[in-house]
Amino acid sequence: MSVQVYIPTPFRRATKNADRVAVEALDVKALLDELEEQFGGLKGLVRNDQGEVHHHVNIYVNNEAIEALQGLETALKDGDEVSIIPALAGGGPALAGGGPALAGAPRVTGAG
Amino acid sequence: MILTPEELVRVRAQAEAEYPSECCGVLLSRTTPTADRLLMPCRNIQDELHAKDRERHPRDSRTAYFIDPKDLLAIGRREAQGYRVATIYHSHVDTGAYFSATDRQNALIDGEPAYPDAVYVVLSVVDGRVVDAAAFVWDPAAGDFVPTEFQKL
Repeated sequence: MSVQVYIPTPFRRATKNADRVAVEALDVKALLDELEEQFGGLKGLVRNDQGEVHHHVNIYVNNEAIEALQGLETALKDGDEVSIIPALAGGGPALAGGGPALAGAPRVTGAG
Repeated sequence: MILTPEELVRVRAQAEAEYPSECCGVLLSRTTPTADRLLMPCRNIQDELHAKDRERHPRDSRTAYFIDPKDLLAIGRREAQGYRVATIYHSHVDTGAYFSATDRQNALIDGEPAYPDAVYVVLSVVDGRVVDAAAFVWDPAAGDFVPTEFQKL
């Protein structure tokens, strides 16, 4: 059975810039095994050494996060779409006001 | 253009509306089949993460943002339609518009930029008003994010 895997920009350096990959797998764990076999650069990016998905990575089967399904054991069927999406996060100083005072980039007048 | 004047107005309004939480979002763009730009304000779920697990997420939304994974999935679907993440923006609350150590750390995966071609815009919101904004890009030679020109507020 063939499953389409969506590879977002942050992981494409590990997939030779492929944004979609077709994988034969019965469940999510097997899919990740197969992906890492095809693209060695993905090793460590999606899962840790214990095979657990990093906390900052979300995996969806169609529109459902695998945490709401059966996790890595989530079964896949022909035509499913799997998305592997790393978190997008950041923030200011740990304590408000602790950062540089209004330091920033050079400015130009008008639209940039 | 990092943000059009109209887009900047919308981002400023979002940043002020969500104060004293940090706001976040992205601008997607594509050139084919037709040139198009899509501003996607995102939901900051940092408070939910903080409430659920304070050890792993010690900060709340006043000092951090974490884009709702559902928004990331929507962004991914747009990427599949030919859009790319052109700009990633967020606000800092009651502090400056700078690229913080946290911003830098979270913008890297294994030391490489997650979105090497994206511009990161940071807005400074003080007492509920946007007072400054700055933009940063990845500089491969420097191996770091560096300031780039951004429109005056």
